[in-house]
Amino acid sequence: MIFYLGPLVIGFLLGFILGTRIKPSPESKLKFDAEVYLIVLIAAIVVAYYVGPFPYYLDSPLASGFVSSIIGILIGKLLFGREGSAKSQIE
Amino acid sequence: MSTILKLFTFPISLIIICYGINTILGGHITPGGGFQGGAMIAGGLIFCIIVYGLEESPFKLSHDFLAAIESAGALGYVFLGLAGLVFSGFFMYNLGVDIYGIVPSTIKTIFNYPDPLNAGIIPYLNFVVGLKVLVGLSAVVIAFLESDKILGDDTE
Repeated sequence: MIFYLGPLVIGFLLGFILGTRIKPSPESKLKFDAEVYLIVLIAAIVVAYYVGPFPYYLDSPLASGFVSSIIGILIGKLLFGREGSAKSQIE
Repeated sequence: MSTILKLFTFPISLIIICYGINTILGGHITPGGGFQGGAMIAGGLIFCIIVYGLEESPFKLSHDFLAAIESAGALGYVFLGLAGLVFSGFFMYNLGVDIYGIVPSTIKTIFNYPDPLNAGIIPYLNFVVGLKVLVGLSAVVIAFLESDKILGDDTE
């Protein structure tokens, strides 16, 4: 199984950029805890498996760019999307 | 909006965004790339903004962020075009592929997208176009949703 660097890096980068913008809303009653993100990760891996080795690299059984993008979103959220960073941005 | 919709929208929008990114990544092989993928990402963001509203949306898209991403996309496109002009004499020359064999191998390696297809700078162009499109389309919706505020300020 070969993983090509291009889709992994660009997918991660795009996901990371968008993940940094996921911030909790203090005024909202809905809260998305860690379980939600875990379920999204599992769902994304399932979707990536059914998408197949897009874009046709035949390197892995799942879409590596898809998985790297969801990992990028989650890491961006973990690093910059905490409650403290949301408050500092509002202030 | 109903609670069920609010529970499901955010996780589904994350999957839509990932699929948009995946579309951008396949842009040099398949029909549709930067624009279509960027539109899909913007669709995911707009889905959240419509259901939760601008204030409560999990995606906090500030004006500075949107301006920075759109500028980065435009500048990246210009940079790739100018790099071709500098190293080969042709604007937007595909340095990674180097079809005329006029570019040093180091430059060719730097600008080549690391995948088995040797697409050169095309995936990078898709990436920067995707950034521009996702900002452009989501900014339109944000501007419409904020129009009450803007009009209210004008009337005062």
